[in-house]
Amino acid sequence: MVNYLAKRIARSFLTLAVILTVVFCLLRFMPIEGYFQNFDKMTPQQIQVGLKEMGMTDPLPAQILRFFNDLFHGDLGVSRIYRANVSVTEILADKVPVSIKLGLWSMVISLVIGLPLGAVMARYQYRWPDRLGTLFIVCIQAVPAAVYYLYLQLYGTSLLDVGLLFKMEDPKYWLLPVFSMSLGNIAFYGMWLRRYMVDESNRDYVKLAKAKGLSEGEIMFKHIFRNAFVPLVQYIPTAFLNTVIGSIYIESLYSIPGMGGLLVMVIKKHDNAMVQGIVLLYACVGVLGLLLGDILMVMLDPRISLGRKEGDR
Amino acid sequence: MEREMILEVTNLDICFQLRGKVLHAIRDVSMELYQGEILAIVGESGSGKSVFTKSFMGLLDKNGYVAGGSIVYFGGEEKEVDLTAISRERDWRSIRGHEIAMIMQDPMTSLNPLKTIGSQIMEAVLLHQKVGRMEAIKRTLKYLEDVGIQEPEKRFEQYPHEFSGGMRQRVVIAIAIACNPKILVCDEPTTALDVTIQAQILDLLKELRHKYNLSVILITHDLGVVANIADRVAVMYAGDIVEIGTSEEIFYDPKHPYTWALLSSLPQAGQKGSDLFSIPGTPPSLYVDIKGDAFANRNPQALKIDFVKRPPYFQVSPTHKAKTWLLDKRAPKVTLPPIVEKIRKGGLF
Repeated sequence: MVNYLAKRIARSFLTLAVILTVVFCLLRFMPIEGYFQNFDKMTPQQIQVGLKEMGMTDPLPAQILRFFNDLFHGDLGVSRIYRANVSVTEILADKVPVSIKLGLWSMVISLVIGLPLGAVMARYQYRWPDRLGTLFIVCIQAVPAAVYYLYLQLYGTSLLDVGLLFKMEDPKYWLLPVFSMSLGNIAFYGMWLRRYMVDESNRDYVKLAKAKGLSEGEIMFKHIFRNAFVPLVQYIPTAFLNTVIGSIYIESLYSIPGMGGLLVMVIKKHDNAMVQGIVLLYACVGVLGLLLGDILMVMLDPRISLGRKEGDR
Repeated sequence: MEREMILEVTNLDICFQLRGKVLHAIRDVSMELYQGEILAIVGESGSGKSVFTKSFMGLLDKNGYVAGGSIVYFGGEEKEVDLTAISRERDWRSIRGHEIAMIMQDPMTSLNPLKTIGSQIMEAVLLHQKVGRMEAIKRTLKYLEDVGIQEPEKRFEQYPHEFSGGMRQRVVIAIAIACNPKILVCDEPTTALDVTIQAQILDLLKELRHKYNLSVILITHDLGVVANIADRVAVMYAGDIVEIGTSEEIFYDPKHPYTWALLSSLPQAGQKGSDLFSIPGTPPSLYVDIKGDAFANRNPQALKIDFVKRPPYFQVSPTHKAKTWLLDKRAPKVTLPPIVEKIRKGGLF
């Protein structure tokens, strides 16, 4: 297990390095406007001098090496356009925690509501709780998120008596954005848990548990729920990370100073250092999510063993 | 042979509601089970063996229901309980496991793959025996040992996927035993296992029956298994027990044409080089009312009356009865199939 994990983590780093190198090389093909604030007014000589100062005229391999070297020292470079001459790490350090906090809360809420939703739907399959839940899930999946986000904001703000502008310090202001962000995941967890639980409840071991004399509730909770949760668990880290990085709309709706939408903006502005920094972050997040999902699976399902087989059977 | 009756089924009818039609799965069946015996129920697929026994535990599928008759259980704290009168799930739970436990066909799928063997057995102990956790663990280890699993302490912590098929069936048996039941229903316990393991499991059942004073109902379509282990045999066809008697009586003195046909299809009975015997035709549809003897249209020696009137039980001996008009005084003499004749003379078992 430890062996496997070490290998797995090493491979994750390799993946990251490849992603970064590819993105780095691609960025070198971008127009050079993004390195200067007043590109239009500069003479070609000034541009050449500027590029040379930044080391952009060096051969590509040398640049890559320097980039990684800086990276190991925690330096992601300097933003040129987005916020001129402020280091990328500093900009991200402001924004990332807000998004993570938002994502964490949203994950907690969606698990706390979504899992019981799925369990209740499975328990009362084809009866009214199931139909009601299905209606909710279909609505969430079919209606574009923007629509119900807007309504939530419209009625939610007056209901909770909060202003439209976000106040980070007041917990009340977190309610609506967190809840809006959770809706999609609530539907996701509810739908899949119901499906897996219905699958599990038709299995032979459930019949045996019933023949053993266990009550319906005990069977649901002790046997079916856990077994149905296993295939779901590997998606949780990824779902969490998706909410962290994918909250563009919510963050702009409530003007939350998070990092949603930042990537698109800096790409448009050709702020290459920022692009590189954010890509690094997202790549880390993606790789980490997969790793965590796999580890969770192993912890819950004894049939899956990481690394080599122990060979006793 | 005066023995205590533990379960008495009288005129049981079970129907299923299927796509707007009614399937009459069990037709007017009566049967007794005695304390400490092994009763085998044999019959082909779809003859209603499983449905019959599931009704003892309230485990019929949702669209199935008891349409008539009674199942009286004598083993409980109350003198007698009519199981067909139980309708609430909660009341069934005092029967399931506690009085009647079940072993299912496929050990590969009947254990929860995510729980340790120990915890699955312990679950039954805690549910049905009023003991604390430590005592439950101790008893679980003992059950593991009783069903022939070596190194119980180590095995306790292991998961089903670390067990072979035969071992898993032993665990399933341990779970059933841990419920501390009076009746054990084994629904084709050896069908999914290979032959050598089959024999071991059957020996285990025989041993446990004495040790825990169980009455066993063994559902099977393997007559070899029956000959090996059963005290009495009930032959089921199209939702009815057509013949019931002690093993000797069924094997050496069968009376019902269907029993003859079953015995004739034994592979052991076949001649080398010739095709194995198979019963012509198919069982009747249970959607329509069956007139006369259900086996009549597959029976080359059927009498006219077989197509008109359903035969009653004819008592052959105090323990042996069969539902066939051939036993009527007025019936003509028929010749037994050669294989049945051969078995009768002690040729096979």
